[in-house]
Amino acid sequence: MKQDFTTIPSIIARHPRKASSLIMILQDIQKEFNYLPEEAMRKTAETLEVPMSKVYSVATFYNAFSLVPRGEKLIRVCVGTACHIRGSKVIREQFENELKIKPGETTPDMKYSLEVVGCVGACAMAPVVMINDKYFGSVKTSRIKQLVGKG
Amino acid sequence: MVNITINGKLVQAYEGEMLLAAIRRENIDIPALCHHEAVEPYGACRLCMVEITKNEWDGWKNHVTSCLYPVEEGLIVNTHTPTVIELRKTILDLFLASSPHSTVIKKLAAEYGITRTSYEEVPDSTDCILCGLCTRICDKMGFSAISAVGRGHGKEIAPPLKEPPPDCVGCLSCAYICPTHYIQFTDNGKERTIWGKKFKLLRCEKTGLPTITEEFAAYLIKHREIPEDYFKINDLSHRRELALKMGQITQWGREA
Ligand code: SF4
Ligand code: FES
Ligand code: FES
Repeated sequence: MKQDFTTIPSIIARHPRKASSLIMILQDIQKEFNYLPEEAMRKTAETLEVPMSKVYSVATFYNAFSLVPRGEKLIRVCVGTACHIRGSKVIREQFENELKIKPGETTPDMKYSLEVVGCVGACAMAPVVMINDKYFGSVKTSRIKQLVGKG
Repeated sequence: MVNITINGKLVQAYEGEMLLAAIRRENIDIPALCHHEAVEPYGACRLCMVEITKNEWDGWKNHVTSCLYPVEEGLIVNTHTPTVIELRKTILDLFLASSPHSTVIKKLAAEYGITRTSYEEVPDSTDCILCGLCTRICDKMGFSAISAVGRGHGKEIAPPLKEPPPDCVGCLSCAYICPTHYIQFTDNGKERTIWGKKFKLLRCEKTGLPTITEEFAAYLIKHREIPEDYFKINDLSHRRELALKMGQITQWGREA
């Protein structure tokens, strides 16, 4: 994956130049690159005059941000309370076996990233899996092959 | 002044101050690990919890962190009720699970009768209790070199990208303020290392003793408008100079 970091300043410039723009800028950068490149974090800190330590703190706090490049398809297995009770553990294991990666990792071909998250707010449909922005409810292990294929 | 009752004693407190300050003035010992006068209160450790009520509250009571609760006219405060002690014990029990090797935590827990946690000890535990004093003092000093990183179980205090922090000047404020002495540094009189970053120490021209790091001096000269010459000698030599001057003044006084 080749990446062009020259767009970073223009992404930052879309927002008012103040500390409270930090999260919105990081969201835009995440969207553009699928992760937060170090260069982008530094540039953001510099432009907003926010210490780099604060940018890093925010970047590592939210699950929505990633510091390493993520795959095209981000698979999030919910392991929140409701999903846990309804068997998210086997769902997670099945994805691990299918993709040969652990949560937090990305397949070498950069196609898939696997993550576990705590409650995505759709407990009634537990166990829930999110693939990019789409929700899949009442997931069964037998469906996982298919979910990896499409989604 | 505000009138409050602490453990049955009527005392006066200053408008706007927090309960903890008034409690401490009464020489009552309650633990407050995340509190320090130099920084804003934060409410992280929960150990300074006390019971509050008022006559007009009809027996209704509340438990609040005294470091964060401003004094109020008529407040009745109790620092060692059975419930408060029970709460503090639970918190210490939890701290003992997350920092089982910290001597500070072990000692404090023992004072409350806990020698072993009733929870499962955290594997790969550290002595950091995430009180946030180090990051708050670093912010206050104007450096913001370190911050909380990550969240949940993995949360820790670290410099950005976990690399030697460019904004750190080696002042050691974080290490000195850390209640559990978790932050490590080395100092051999010539060189100092903290957060993986090395600093050269300045030396007093008169005594040859080390003073502060070059970076810290440069910062104070630039941003706090302290004259450059000030860092040529150490505090002791400054005092000696001052003493000599004072001596001269009294001498002149006598002559006149
Ligand atoms: S390193 Fe020390 S001062 Fe900083 S949060 Fe941890 S316990 Fe508190
Ligand atoms: S616990 Fe999974 S959606 Fe709420
Ligand atoms: S001292 Fe009040 S919560 Fe820590």
